[in-house]
Amino acid sequence: MKYTWVLGQRALREALRTPEALLPTLFIPMFFLVVNLGQAGKIFPSGTTSFLDGQNYAAFQLPSSMLLAASFGTAALFLVEDIEGGYFDKLRSSPVPRTSLVFGRLVAEVVKGLLIASVLVVLALPFGIRLASGFLGFLLLIALTALWAVVYVGFMQLIALKTRSAAATNSGGLIFFPLLFLTPNFVPRHMLTRPMEVAATFNPVTYVMEALRSLILQDLVWGRILAGFGVVGALGLIMLVLNLRMIRNYD
Amino acid sequence: MPNSNDLDGLGRQAERVLRPTASHAAVETRGLVKHYRGRDGVVEAVRGVDLRVETGEVFGFLGPNGAGKSTMVRMLTTLLSITSGSAFVAGIDIAAKPDEARLRMGVALQEAGLDPRQTGRELLVLQSRLFGMTSDDAAARAQQLLELVDLTDAADRRIKGYSGGMKRRLDLASALVHEPEVLFLDEPTTGLDPASRLVVWDEVRRINRRGTTVFLTTQYLEEADQLCDRIAIIDDGRIVREGTPAALKTELQQREGLASEPTLDDVFLEATGRIRERGAGVVREVGA
Repeated sequence: MKYTWVLGQRALREALRTPEALLPTLFIPMFFLVVNLGQAGKIFPSGTTSFLDGQNYAAFQLPSSMLLAASFGTAALFLVEDIEGGYFDKLRSSPVPRTSLVFGRLVAEVVKGLLIASVLVVLALPFGIRLASGFLGFLLLIALTALWAVVYVGFMQLIALKTRSAAATNSGGLIFFPLLFLTPNFVPRHMLTRPMEVAATFNPVTYVMEALRSLILQDLVWGRILAGFGVVGALGLIMLVLNLRMIRNYD
Repeated sequence: MPNSNDLDGLGRQAERVLRPTASHAAVETRGLVKHYRGRDGVVEAVRGVDLRVETGEVFGFLGPNGAGKSTMVRMLTTLLSITSGSAFVAGIDIAAKPDEARLRMGVALQEAGLDPRQTGRELLVLQSRLFGMTSDDAAARAQQLLELVDLTDAADRRIKGYSGGMKRRLDLASALVHEPEVLFLDEPTTGLDPASRLVVWDEVRRINRRGTTVFLTTQYLEEADQLCDRIAIIDDGRIVREGTPAALKTELQQREGLASEPTLDDVFLEATGRIRERGAGVVREVGA
Protein backbone atom coordinates (compact mmCIF):
# COMPACT_ATOMS: atom_id res chain seq x y z
CA MET A 1 0.00 0.00 0.00
CA LYS A 2 2.91 2.31 0.85
CA TYR A 3 4.36 1.88 -2.65
CA THR A 4 0.96 2.39 -4.25
CA TRP A 5 0.56 5.74 -2.51
CA VAL A 6 4.14 6.80 -3.35
CA LEU A 7 3.47 6.07 -7.03
CA GLY A 8 0.04 7.68 -6.76
CA GLN A 9 1.60 10.89 -5.46
CA ARG A 10 3.95 10.91 -8.39
CA ALA A 11 1.01 10.46 -10.80
CA LEU A 12 -0.83 13.35 -9.15
CA ARG A 13 2.25 15.57 -9.42
CA GLU A 14 2.46 14.62 -13.08
CA ALA A 15 -1.18 15.65 -13.62
CA LEU A 16 -0.77 18.96 -11.80
CA ARG A 17 2.30 19.78 -13.88
CA THR A 18 0.42 19.17 -17.10
CA PRO A 19 -2.53 21.57 -16.88
CA GLU A 20 -2.83 21.48 -20.67
CA ALA A 21 -3.93 17.85 -20.30
CA LEU A 22 -6.21 18.54 -17.34
CA LEU A 23 -8.11 21.60 -18.60
CA PRO A 24 -9.85 19.88 -21.56
CA THR A 25 -11.37 17.40 -19.09
CA LEU A 26 -13.31 20.36 -17.68
CA PHE A 27 -13.75 22.51 -20.77
CA ILE A 28 -15.07 19.91 -23.21
CA PRO A 29 -17.74 18.43 -20.86
CA MET A 30 -18.90 21.97 -20.01
CA PHE A 31 -19.00 22.76 -23.73
CA PHE A 32 -21.26 19.74 -24.34
CA LEU A 33 -23.48 20.76 -21.42
CA VAL A 34 -23.96 24.24 -22.86
CA VAL A 35 -24.48 23.01 -26.43
CA ASN A 36 -26.94 20.25 -25.50
CA LEU A 37 -28.85 22.64 -23.28
CA GLY A 38 -28.97 25.19 -26.10
CA GLN A 39 -30.18 22.63 -28.61
CA ALA A 40 -32.78 20.78 -26.56
CA GLY A 41 -33.55 23.03 -23.61
CA LYS A 42 -36.66 24.48 -25.26
CA ILE A 43 -37.93 21.06 -26.36
CA PHE A 44 -37.94 19.91 -22.74
CA PRO A 45 -39.15 22.83 -20.62
CA SER A 46 -38.95 22.15 -16.92
CA GLY A 47 -42.60 22.96 -16.25
CA THR A 48 -44.07 20.41 -18.62
CA THR A 49 -41.40 17.71 -18.77
CA SER A 50 -42.08 15.15 -16.11
CA PHE A 51 -38.72 13.37 -16.30
CA LEU A 52 -36.94 16.57 -15.25
CA ASP A 53 -38.59 16.47 -11.80
CA GLY A 54 -38.99 20.23 -11.75
CA GLN A 55 -35.43 21.05 -12.81
CA ASN A 56 -34.18 22.28 -16.18
CA TYR A 57 -32.66 20.22 -18.97
CA ALA A 58 -29.10 21.06 -17.82
CA ALA A 59 -29.71 18.90 -14.74
CA PHE A 60 -30.66 16.01 -17.02
CA GLN A 61 -27.53 16.52 -19.14
CA LEU A 62 -25.02 16.97 -16.30
CA PRO A 63 -24.40 13.19 -15.84
CA SER A 64 -23.34 12.91 -19.51
CA SER A 65 -20.84 15.70 -19.00
CA MET A 66 -19.55 14.15 -15.79
CA LEU A 67 -19.08 10.76 -17.42
CA LEU A 68 -17.36 12.38 -20.35
CA ALA A 69 -14.99 14.23 -18.00
CA ALA A 70 -14.22 10.95 -16.27
CA SER A 71 -13.49 9.16 -19.53
CA PHE A 72 -10.52 11.06 -20.92
CA GLY A 73 -8.06 8.50 -19.58
CA THR A 74 -5.08 10.84 -19.69
CA ALA A 75 -3.35 8.71 -17.04
CA ALA A 76 -3.04 5.91 -19.60
CA LEU A 77 -1.39 8.32 -22.04
CA PHE A 78 1.10 9.28 -19.34
CA LEU A 79 1.75 5.57 -18.87
CA VAL A 80 2.56 5.21 -22.57
CA GLU A 81 4.98 8.12 -22.22
CA ASP A 82 6.64 6.28 -19.34
CA ILE A 83 6.88 3.14 -21.46
CA GLU A 84 8.22 4.93 -24.53
CA GLY A 85 10.69 6.98 -22.48
CA GLY A 86 12.02 3.99 -20.55
CA TYR A 87 10.87 5.20 -17.13
CA PHE A 88 8.39 2.37 -16.83
CA ASP A 89 11.31 -0.08 -17.05
CA LYS A 90 13.04 1.88 -14.30
CA LEU A 91 9.96 1.41 -12.13
CA ARG A 92 9.71 -2.26 -13.09
CA SER A 93 13.32 -2.83 -12.08
CA SER A 94 12.53 -1.74 -8.51
CA PRO A 95 11.38 -4.31 -5.95
CA VAL A 96 7.89 -2.85 -5.84
CA PRO A 97 4.91 -5.23 -6.03
CA ARG A 98 3.61 -5.31 -9.59
CA THR A 99 0.18 -4.50 -8.20
CA SER A 100 1.48 -1.13 -7.00
CA LEU A 101 2.66 -0.24 -10.50
CA VAL A 102 -0.96 -0.57 -11.63
CA PHE A 103 -2.73 0.69 -8.51
CA GLY A 104 -0.53 3.79 -8.17
CA ARG A 105 -2.07 5.44 -11.20
CA LEU A 106 -5.55 4.22 -10.32
CA VAL A 107 -5.34 5.72 -6.83
CA ALA A 108 -4.29 9.01 -8.38
CA GLU A 109 -7.21 8.71 -10.77
CA VAL A 110 -9.63 8.44 -7.83
CA VAL A 111 -8.28 11.70 -6.39
CA LYS A 112 -8.36 13.43 -9.78
CA GLY A 113 -11.84 12.08 -10.49
CA LEU A 114 -13.17 13.41 -7.18
CA LEU A 115 -11.71 16.83 -7.84
CA ILE A 116 -12.90 17.06 -11.45
CA ALA A 117 -16.39 15.86 -10.55
CA SER A 118 -16.62 18.38 -7.72
CA VAL A 119 -15.48 21.23 -9.94
CA LEU A 120 -17.98 20.22 -12.64
CA VAL A 121 -20.83 20.25 -10.14
CA VAL A 122 -19.79 23.71 -8.96
CA LEU A 123 -19.48 24.94 -12.56
CA ALA A 124 -22.96 23.57 -13.29
CA LEU A 125 -24.64 25.41 -10.42
CA PRO A 126 -25.07 28.68 -12.38
CA PHE A 127 -27.23 26.72 -14.85
CA GLY A 128 -29.81 26.42 -12.09
CA ILE A 129 -28.97 22.83 -11.22
CA ARG A 130 -29.50 21.67 -7.65
CA LEU A 131 -28.82 18.27 -6.15
CA ALA A 132 -32.15 16.81 -5.03
CA SER A 133 -30.38 14.12 -3.01
CA GLY A 134 -28.57 16.63 -0.79
CA PHE A 135 -25.03 16.48 0.55
CA LEU A 136 -24.94 12.69 0.79
CA GLY A 137 -26.11 12.61 -2.81
CA PHE A 138 -23.28 14.97 -3.76
CA LEU A 139 -20.74 12.67 -2.14
CA LEU A 140 -22.21 9.66 -3.92
CA LEU A 141 -22.29 11.60 -7.19
CA ILE A 142 -18.60 12.49 -7.13
CA ALA A 143 -17.63 9.07 -5.79
CA LEU A 144 -19.44 7.25 -8.58
CA THR A 145 -17.93 9.56 -11.19
CA ALA A 146 -14.43 9.04 -9.76
CA LEU A 147 -14.88 5.27 -9.69
CA TRP A 148 -16.03 5.33 -13.31
CA ALA A 149 -12.84 7.27 -14.11
CA VAL A 150 -10.83 4.45 -12.52
CA VAL A 151 -12.70 1.84 -14.58
CA TYR A 152 -12.09 3.73 -17.78
CA VAL A 153 -8.43 4.43 -17.06
CA GLY A 154 -8.08 0.75 -16.20
CA PHE A 155 -9.45 -0.08 -19.65
CA MET A 156 -7.12 2.39 -21.35
CA GLN A 157 -4.14 1.15 -19.32
CA LEU A 158 -4.83 -2.29 -20.77
CA ILE A 159 -4.53 -0.86 -24.27
CA ALA A 160 -1.40 1.07 -23.24
CA LEU A 161 0.30 -1.99 -21.74
CA LYS A 162 -0.67 -4.18 -24.68
CA THR A 163 0.17 -1.83 -27.55
CA ARG A 164 2.76 0.48 -25.87
CA SER A 165 1.57 3.05 -28.40
CA ALA A 166 0.18 6.51 -27.70
CA ALA A 167 -1.75 6.51 -30.96
CA ALA A 168 -3.43 3.17 -30.24
CA THR A 169 -4.22 4.15 -26.65
CA ASN A 170 -5.68 7.46 -27.76
CA SER A 171 -7.80 5.77 -30.42
CA GLY A 172 -8.94 3.13 -27.95
CA GLY A 173 -10.20 5.88 -25.69
CA LEU A 174 -12.64 7.04 -28.34
CA ILE A 175 -14.72 3.93 -27.73
CA PHE A 176 -16.43 5.89 -24.99
CA PHE A 177 -18.36 7.99 -27.53
CA PRO A 178 -20.39 5.13 -29.01
CA LEU A 179 -20.98 3.89 -25.47
CA LEU A 180 -22.18 7.34 -24.43
CA PHE A 181 -24.56 7.67 -27.37
CA LEU A 182 -26.02 4.23 -26.72
CA THR A 183 -27.31 5.42 -23.35
CA PRO A 184 -30.48 7.35 -22.54
CA ASN A 185 -28.37 10.42 -23.11
CA PHE A 186 -31.05 12.88 -24.28
CA VAL A 187 -34.24 11.29 -22.93
CA PRO A 188 -35.06 8.57 -20.39
CA ARG A 189 -34.75 4.95 -21.48
CA HIS A 190 -38.51 4.36 -21.86
CA MET A 191 -38.70 7.15 -24.45
CA LEU A 192 -36.07 5.63 -26.74
CA THR A 193 -36.99 3.69 -29.87
CA ARG A 194 -37.11 -0.05 -29.24
CA PRO A 195 -33.70 -0.90 -30.80
CA MET A 196 -32.04 1.96 -28.91
CA GLU A 197 -33.74 0.92 -25.69
CA VAL A 198 -32.42 -2.62 -26.10
CA ALA A 199 -28.93 -1.32 -26.85
CA ALA A 200 -29.07 1.01 -23.84
CA THR A 201 -30.24 -1.82 -21.60
CA PHE A 202 -27.17 -3.89 -22.52
CA ASN A 203 -24.84 -0.93 -22.19
CA PRO A 204 -23.31 -0.78 -18.68
CA VAL A 205 -22.77 2.99 -18.98
CA THR A 206 -26.56 3.36 -18.93
CA TYR A 207 -26.76 2.24 -15.31
CA VAL A 208 -23.99 4.57 -14.22
CA MET A 209 -25.65 7.46 -16.00
CA GLU A 210 -29.07 6.65 -14.52
CA ALA A 211 -27.56 6.48 -11.04
CA LEU A 212 -25.88 9.85 -11.47
CA ARG A 213 -29.06 11.32 -12.89
CA SER A 214 -31.18 10.03 -10.06
CA LEU A 215 -28.83 11.68 -7.55
CA ILE A 216 -29.32 15.02 -9.29
CA LEU A 217 -33.05 14.89 -10.07
CA GLN A 218 -34.45 12.81 -7.23
CA ASP A 219 -33.93 12.02 -3.60
CA LEU A 220 -31.85 8.93 -2.80
CA VAL A 221 -33.27 6.19 -5.02
CA TRP A 222 -31.18 3.31 -3.73
CA GLY A 223 -32.14 0.85 -6.43
CA ARG A 224 -30.73 3.11 -9.12
CA ILE A 225 -27.73 4.11 -7.03
CA LEU A 226 -26.77 0.55 -6.18
CA ALA A 227 -27.16 -0.50 -9.81
CA GLY A 228 -24.68 2.22 -10.81
CA PHE A 229 -22.19 1.31 -8.12
CA GLY A 230 -22.69 -2.38 -8.88
CA VAL A 231 -21.81 -1.90 -12.54
CA VAL A 232 -18.77 0.20 -11.67
CA GLY A 233 -17.69 -2.34 -9.05
CA ALA A 234 -18.00 -5.28 -11.43
CA LEU A 235 -16.25 -3.53 -14.30
CA GLY A 236 -13.60 -2.21 -11.90
CA LEU A 237 -12.88 -5.71 -10.68
CA ILE A 238 -12.57 -7.01 -14.24
CA MET A 239 -10.21 -4.17 -15.16
CA LEU A 240 -8.07 -4.75 -12.08
CA VAL A 241 -7.73 -8.46 -12.77
CA LEU A 242 -6.89 -7.85 -16.43
CA ASN A 243 -4.40 -5.08 -15.57
CA LEU A 244 -2.65 -7.28 -13.03
CA ARG A 245 -2.47 -10.14 -15.49
CA MET A 246 -1.07 -7.82 -18.12
CA ILE A 247 1.61 -6.32 -15.86
CA ARG A 248 2.68 -9.71 -14.54
CA ASN A 249 3.18 -11.00 -18.08
CA TYR A 250 4.72 -7.76 -19.32
CA ASP A 251 8.01 -8.41 -21.10
CA MET B 1 39.35 -3.05 -8.70
CA PRO B 2 38.07 -2.04 -5.26
CA ASN B 3 40.33 0.24 -3.34
CA SER B 4 39.36 0.67 0.27
CA ASN B 5 41.49 3.83 0.61
CA ASP B 6 39.37 5.61 -1.91
CA LEU B 7 36.16 6.00 0.03
CA ASP B 8 34.42 9.34 0.28
CA GLY B 9 30.95 10.70 0.93
CA LEU B 10 29.01 7.54 1.51
CA GLY B 11 31.84 5.89 3.37
CA ARG B 12 29.95 3.92 5.97
CA GLN B 13 27.60 2.39 3.45
CA ALA B 14 30.41 1.76 1.01
CA GLU B 15 32.47 0.00 3.66
CA ARG B 16 29.65 -2.43 4.10
CA VAL B 17 29.68 -3.14 0.39
CA LEU B 18 33.44 -3.51 0.24
CA ARG B 19 33.51 -6.06 3.00
CA PRO B 20 33.90 -9.40 1.27
CA THR B 21 30.80 -11.24 2.44
CA ALA B 22 29.75 -13.24 -0.59
CA SER B 23 31.40 -16.23 -2.16
CA HIS B 24 28.96 -16.31 -5.06
CA ALA B 25 29.57 -14.75 -8.45
CA ALA B 26 28.09 -11.30 -9.03
CA VAL B 27 26.37 -12.59 -12.17
CA GLU B 28 26.09 -16.15 -13.32
CA THR B 29 24.07 -17.63 -16.16
CA ARG B 30 23.67 -21.24 -17.18
CA GLY B 31 22.36 -22.09 -20.61
CA LEU B 32 20.40 -18.85 -20.80
CA VAL B 33 18.01 -18.77 -23.74
CA LYS B 34 15.55 -16.18 -25.00
CA HIS B 35 13.16 -16.81 -27.85
CA TYR B 36 10.73 -14.22 -29.18
CA ARG B 37 7.65 -15.09 -31.14
CA GLY B 38 7.72 -12.75 -34.13
CA ARG B 39 5.60 -12.42 -37.24
CA ASP B 40 8.08 -14.52 -39.16
CA GLY B 41 8.26 -17.25 -36.54
CA VAL B 42 10.47 -17.72 -33.51
CA VAL B 43 13.48 -15.45 -33.13
CA GLU B 44 16.34 -16.94 -31.13
CA ALA B 45 17.84 -13.81 -29.55
CA VAL B 46 20.01 -15.57 -26.95
CA ARG B 47 21.07 -19.17 -27.51
CA GLY B 48 22.40 -20.81 -24.37
CA VAL B 49 24.74 -18.34 -22.72
CA ASP B 50 26.98 -19.45 -19.86
CA LEU B 51 28.58 -16.52 -18.12
CA ARG B 52 30.27 -15.80 -14.81
CA VAL B 53 31.11 -12.31 -13.60
CA GLU B 54 33.13 -12.14 -10.40
CA THR B 55 32.33 -9.77 -7.57
CA GLY B 56 34.13 -6.43 -7.92
CA GLU B 57 34.73 -6.66 -11.65
CA VAL B 58 33.87 -4.20 -14.37
CA PHE B 59 32.64 -6.63 -16.97
CA GLY B 60 32.16 -5.51 -20.55
CA PHE B 61 29.55 -7.18 -22.70
CA LEU B 62 30.14 -6.43 -26.35
CA GLY B 63 28.52 -7.39 -29.60
CA PRO B 64 27.26 -6.05 -32.90
CA ASN B 65 23.78 -4.52 -33.15
CA GLY B 66 21.15 -7.19 -32.67
CA ALA B 67 23.62 -9.71 -31.26
CA GLY B 68 21.65 -10.14 -28.02
CA LYS B 69 23.37 -7.69 -25.65
CA SER B 70 20.32 -5.75 -24.57
CA THR B 71 18.20 -8.90 -24.44
CA MET B 72 20.74 -10.39 -22.02
CA VAL B 73 20.72 -7.27 -19.87
CA ARG B 74 16.92 -7.12 -19.85
CA MET B 75 16.73 -10.76 -18.79
CA LEU B 76 19.35 -10.30 -16.07
CA THR B 77 17.55 -7.24 -14.73
CA THR B 78 14.21 -9.12 -14.55
CA LEU B 79 12.65 -6.92 -17.24
CA LEU B 80 12.33 -9.78 -19.68
CA SER B 81 11.25 -13.35 -19.04
CA ILE B 82 13.73 -16.19 -19.55
CA THR B 83 12.80 -18.85 -22.09
CA SER B 84 15.09 -21.46 -20.54
CA GLY B 85 18.24 -21.75 -18.49
CA SER B 86 18.94 -19.97 -15.23
CA ALA B 87 20.48 -16.72 -14.09
CA PHE B 88 21.73 -15.54 -10.73
CA VAL B 89 22.56 -12.00 -9.67
CA ALA B 90 24.40 -11.61 -6.37
CA GLY B 91 23.65 -15.27 -5.78
CA ILE B 92 19.89 -14.85 -6.17
CA ASP B 93 17.93 -16.81 -8.75
CA ILE B 94 16.31 -13.95 -10.66
CA ALA B 95 13.43 -16.04 -11.99
CA ALA B 96 12.54 -17.57 -8.62
CA LYS B 97 13.07 -14.46 -6.46
CA PRO B 98 12.91 -11.42 -8.73
CA ASP B 99 12.21 -8.89 -5.97
CA GLU B 100 15.13 -10.14 -3.88
CA ALA B 101 17.35 -9.87 -6.94
CA ARG B 102 16.07 -6.36 -7.70
CA LEU B 103 17.12 -5.25 -4.23
CA ARG B 104 20.70 -6.20 -5.08
CA MET B 105 20.99 -4.74 -8.54
CA GLY B 106 20.95 -1.27 -10.06
CA VAL B 107 19.82 -0.68 -13.63
CA ALA B 108 20.56 2.11 -16.08
CA LEU B 109 19.29 1.16 -19.50
CA GLN B 110 20.20 2.29 -22.98
CA GLU B 111 17.86 5.29 -22.96
CA ALA B 112 18.05 7.14 -19.68
CA GLY B 113 14.72 6.13 -18.17
CA LEU B 114 13.68 9.33 -16.49
CA ASP B 115 10.43 11.15 -15.90
CA PRO B 116 10.84 14.57 -17.54
CA ARG B 117 8.13 16.16 -15.38
CA GLN B 118 9.90 15.49 -12.10
CA THR B 119 12.89 17.34 -10.78
CA GLY B 120 16.15 15.45 -10.33
CA ARG B 121 15.67 15.48 -6.57
CA GLU B 122 12.07 14.24 -6.76
CA LEU B 123 13.11 11.41 -9.03
CA LEU B 124 15.84 10.25 -6.65
CA VAL B 125 13.57 10.56 -3.61
CA LEU B 126 10.88 8.54 -5.37
CA GLN B 127 13.37 5.90 -6.45
CA SER B 128 14.73 5.68 -2.91
CA ARG B 129 11.24 5.27 -1.50
CA LEU B 130 10.54 2.47 -3.98
CA PHE B 131 13.52 0.69 -2.45
CA GLY B 132 11.90 0.91 0.96
CA MET B 133 13.41 4.04 2.51
CA THR B 134 11.44 6.43 4.71
CA SER B 135 10.80 9.98 3.44
CA ASP B 136 13.66 11.41 5.54
CA ASP B 137 16.14 8.72 4.54
CA ALA B 138 15.12 9.08 0.90
CA ALA B 139 15.67 12.85 1.02
CA ALA B 140 19.11 12.39 2.59
CA ARG B 141 20.08 9.71 0.09
CA ALA B 142 18.92 11.88 -2.82
CA GLN B 143 21.11 14.74 -1.58
CA GLN B 144 24.13 12.40 -1.27
CA LEU B 145 23.66 11.12 -4.79
CA LEU B 146 23.10 14.57 -6.26
CA GLU B 147 26.43 15.59 -4.78
CA LEU B 148 28.05 12.39 -6.00
CA VAL B 149 27.06 13.03 -9.63
CA ASP B 150 27.51 16.79 -9.35
CA LEU B 151 23.90 17.75 -9.97
CA THR B 152 23.14 19.76 -6.84
CA ASP B 153 22.72 23.01 -8.79
CA ALA B 154 20.14 21.43 -11.10
CA ALA B 155 18.51 19.28 -8.42
CA ASP B 156 15.27 21.26 -8.25
CA ARG B 157 14.88 21.83 -11.98
CA ARG B 158 12.61 19.64 -14.07
CA ILE B 159 14.49 16.87 -15.85
CA LYS B 160 13.13 17.85 -19.25
CA GLY B 161 15.57 20.79 -19.19
CA TYR B 162 18.63 18.63 -18.48
CA SER B 163 21.33 18.00 -21.09
CA GLY B 164 22.03 14.47 -22.30
CA GLY B 165 25.05 14.18 -20.01
CA MET B 166 23.10 15.39 -16.98
CA LYS B 167 20.31 12.92 -17.70
CA ARG B 168 22.81 10.10 -17.95
CA ARG B 169 24.42 11.05 -14.63
CA LEU B 170 21.02 11.30 -12.97
CA ASP B 171 20.09 7.91 -14.39
CA LEU B 172 23.28 6.49 -12.93
CA ALA B 173 22.49 8.07 -9.58
CA SER B 174 18.98 6.63 -9.63
CA ALA B 175 20.45 3.17 -10.16
CA LEU B 176 22.55 3.61 -7.02
CA VAL B 177 19.92 4.67 -4.47
CA HIS B 178 20.00 1.32 -2.71
CA GLU B 179 23.76 0.73 -3.02
CA PRO B 180 23.40 -2.26 -5.32
CA GLU B 181 25.90 -5.08 -5.35
CA VAL B 182 25.70 -5.27 -9.13
CA LEU B 183 25.14 -2.35 -11.48
CA PHE B 184 23.90 -3.01 -15.01
CA LEU B 185 24.72 -0.29 -17.51
CA ASP B 186 23.35 -0.74 -21.00
CA GLU B 187 25.34 1.47 -23.38
CA PRO B 188 25.77 4.23 -20.82
CA THR B 189 27.61 6.62 -23.10
CA THR B 190 25.73 6.21 -26.37
CA GLY B 191 24.84 9.61 -27.74
CA LEU B 192 27.06 11.55 -25.36
CA ASP B 193 29.71 14.04 -26.41
CA PRO B 194 33.33 13.08 -25.63
CA ALA B 195 33.51 15.24 -22.49
CA SER B 196 30.31 13.78 -21.04
CA ARG B 197 31.55 10.31 -21.93
CA LEU B 198 34.69 10.86 -19.84
CA VAL B 199 32.56 12.03 -16.94
CA VAL B 200 30.51 8.83 -17.11
CA TRP B 201 33.69 6.74 -17.29
CA ASP B 202 34.93 8.45 -14.13
CA GLU B 203 31.62 7.74 -12.42
CA VAL B 204 31.76 4.08 -13.41
CA ARG B 205 35.30 3.79 -12.02
CA ARG B 206 34.27 5.54 -8.82
CA ILE B 207 31.22 3.29 -8.40
CA ASN B 208 33.37 0.23 -8.95
CA ARG B 209 35.95 1.44 -6.43
CA ARG B 210 33.15 1.53 -3.88
CA GLY B 211 32.77 -2.20 -4.35
CA THR B 212 29.96 -2.42 -6.87
CA THR B 213 30.32 -4.94 -9.65
CA VAL B 214 29.60 -3.28 -12.99
CA PHE B 215 28.11 -5.17 -15.93
CA LEU B 216 28.45 -2.87 -18.89
CA THR B 217 27.34 -3.18 -22.49
CA THR B 218 28.88 -0.87 -25.01
CA GLN B 219 29.48 -0.48 -28.70
CA TYR B 220 32.59 1.57 -28.06
CA LEU B 221 35.56 -0.77 -27.91
CA GLU B 222 37.80 1.94 -26.55
CA GLU B 223 35.37 2.27 -23.67
CA ALA B 224 35.57 -1.44 -22.97
CA ASP B 225 39.36 -1.33 -23.18
CA GLN B 226 39.54 1.60 -20.76
CA LEU B 227 37.00 0.45 -18.21
CA CYS B 228 36.66 -3.30 -18.20
CA ASP B 229 38.60 -5.92 -16.28
CA ARG B 230 37.14 -8.63 -18.47
CA ILE B 231 34.92 -8.71 -21.51
CA ALA B 232 32.70 -11.12 -23.35
CA ILE B 233 31.69 -10.78 -26.97
CA ILE B 234 28.29 -12.04 -28.00
CA ASP B 235 27.36 -12.66 -31.61
CA ASP B 236 24.14 -14.10 -32.92
CA GLY B 237 23.04 -14.94 -29.38
CA ARG B 238 26.18 -16.88 -28.42
CA ILE B 239 29.32 -15.93 -26.49
CA VAL B 240 32.17 -16.07 -28.99
CA ARG B 241 35.03 -14.65 -26.88
CA GLU B 242 35.60 -14.10 -23.18
CA GLY B 243 38.62 -12.90 -21.20
CA THR B 244 40.63 -9.86 -20.25
CA PRO B 245 41.22 -7.37 -23.09
CA ALA B 246 44.95 -8.06 -22.89
CA ALA B 247 44.49 -11.83 -23.01
CA LEU B 248 42.12 -11.63 -25.95
CA LYS B 249 44.56 -9.45 -27.90
CA THR B 250 47.48 -11.74 -27.11
CA GLU B 251 45.49 -14.79 -28.10
CA LEU B 252 44.59 -13.26 -31.46
CA GLN B 253 48.15 -12.14 -32.05
CA GLN B 254 49.53 -15.60 -31.37
CA ARG B 255 46.84 -17.43 -33.28
CA GLU B 256 47.16 -15.25 -36.37
CA GLY B 257 50.92 -14.76 -36.05
CA LEU B 258 50.57 -10.97 -36.15
CA ALA B 259 53.70 -8.84 -35.93
CA SER B 260 52.14 -6.15 -33.75
CA GLU B 261 49.59 -6.41 -30.96
CA PRO B 262 46.08 -6.20 -32.33
CA THR B 263 43.56 -3.73 -30.95
CA LEU B 264 40.32 -4.67 -29.24
CA ASP B 265 38.63 -3.62 -32.50
CA ASP B 266 40.58 -6.35 -34.27
CA VAL B 267 39.55 -8.89 -31.64
CA PHE B 268 35.93 -7.83 -31.98
CA LEU B 269 35.88 -7.91 -35.76
CA GLU B 270 37.59 -11.27 -35.91
CA ALA B 271 35.33 -12.73 -33.22
CA THR B 272 32.13 -11.58 -34.87
CA GLY B 273 33.06 -13.05 -38.24
CA ARG B 274 34.14 -9.85 -39.87
CA ILE B 275 37.53 -8.89 -41.22
CA ARG B 276 39.08 -5.50 -41.64
CA GLU B 277 40.62 -4.78 -44.98
CA ARG B 278 43.32 -2.18 -45.21
CA GLY B 279 44.23 -0.61 -48.48
CA ALA B 280 45.32 2.79 -49.70
CA GLY B 281 44.91 4.25 -46.24
CA VAL B 282 41.27 3.21 -46.09
CA VAL B 283 39.95 0.85 -43.45
CA ARG B 284 36.62 -0.80 -44.04
CA GLU B 285 34.68 -3.63 -42.49
CA VAL B 286 33.34 -6.39 -44.67
CA GLY B 287 31.30 -9.46 -43.92
CA ALA B 288 33.23 -12.67 -43.69
